[in-house]
Amino acid sequence: MSSAALALPAFSAAPPDQIQFGLKTTAYRESDQDSGTVLAGSDQRYDINVNQFYLITPVGRNWSFAVDLSHESMSGASPWGTLAAVGADSQLVMSGATIEEARNELSLGATRYFERSSFAVSLTRSKENDYEADALAVNAEWDFNDKLSTLALGLSYSSDELEPTDALMFGRVSSETKQSRSLSLGWTQVLSRSSVLQSGFSITDHRGYLSDPYKLRDIRPDQRLETAINVRYRHFIEPVNSSLHLDYRFYRDDFGIRSHTLRGAWYQNLTSQFQLIPSMRYYSQNQADFYVAGDNYGLADTVFQSSDYRLSGFGALTFGLQGRFSRRDWSVSVNFERYLSSASYGLDASASEHPGLLQFNLLSLGFDIKL
Amino acid sequence: MNKLLVISVVFCLSGCQAVEPWQRGLLARPEMQLEPDRLQAKLNSQVYFSNEASSGSNDVAGAGCGCN
Repeated sequence: MSSAALALPAFSAAPPDQIQFGLKTTAYRESDQDSGTVLAGSDQRYDINVNQFYLITPVGRNWSFAVDLSHESMSGASPWGTLAAVGADSQLVMSGATIEEARNELSLGATRYFERSSFAVSLTRSKENDYEADALAVNAEWDFNDKLSTLALGLSYSSDELEPTDALMFGRVSSETKQSRSLSLGWTQVLSRSSVLQSGFSITDHRGYLSDPYKLRDIRPDQRLETAINVRYRHFIEPVNSSLHLDYRFYRDDFGIRSHTLRGAWYQNLTSQFQLIPSMRYYSQNQADFYVAGDNYGLADTVFQSSDYRLSGFGALTFGLQGRFSRRDWSVSVNFERYLSSASYGLDASASEHPGLLQFNLLSLGFDIKL
Repeated sequence: MNKLLVISVVFCLSGCQAVEPWQRGLLARPEMQLEPDRLQAKLNSQVYFSNEASSGSNDVAGAGCGCN
């Protein structure tokens, strides 16, 4: 075991002893919409290319600075509305295929380390042509019990501003704002020399314009309170030289949505340099209280309604496989994921499946280095 | 929900063993970290946030929409 490993306090934040940076490029491809479900517009869903970069550097003995950058370029169409006729399947009104968008995100962070604690602050700015967000986050960690236990507290505030394109032409809102406040609390406990468990709770309060301005009929409350419980377990199995990851999240909000997310991953070391990581994720949510299978123009515009597929009841499965080749100071990784969603996978699905539910593939190539 | 958190913390405290600093080699391995791949974790968080109704993790959320 290296001296660096000896010095590691397991799961509390420790000052980095080397400069680390990484790059990742990702192709995200949504499957095209079945043309039989499209009443108007394009059947081509989103293709997104993502480029990410991070740098973490020690500064002196007690500080570190971090920079995260990401650039996304998107093209494709998204559902504008849903029409449901009695005795027939719902159909989508899609946007044209001409939507081209880009999003850039920059995050700067600084962490101060003490003997048994650390304090971090980060600023994030995200910008699209129709959406800007600024966020401030502070995180603190305290070690207990000979650094076998770590308490983490996080607070964040985000201020978002949206200015939908073609607002006049389509009668959309011209400018709206949204604020989000979040608190998270986590407890990480080393259970044995080969296992660790983290339990956490988070609560987020969104206020402001929470509807989707691009949908033809989408009227949501202007407040949303979300709570989530997270449990993450890591266990190293020496006889097979592998690490098992199990994550579970229970989520609920006052839109009436409850969800369960379960993810497992198996980190199999095949040689001292090559690792194969199969993973599987299961997700299930019920529908929001004001979800409608088809847009209802007979209702007053003060009555909440949304036919967004993301607010319907459904389930999803993700199958992933990652390969990682590592040398002493660098590693390269390739990751593939396949996401499938369906009402039939859900524990408490909507009565009829939303035709806009997604399937996508994601392929990433990553490179990490330590100097 | 708070009860669940208390139960899990109690489980942590009751189930743990004394692990001396020199016995923490396995725990220090990259594949034993809670988020071994920083960029992949950020990417997946954004992808699922954009396509499902749920969000929230033990790490405080970032900013931005990126929604379709």
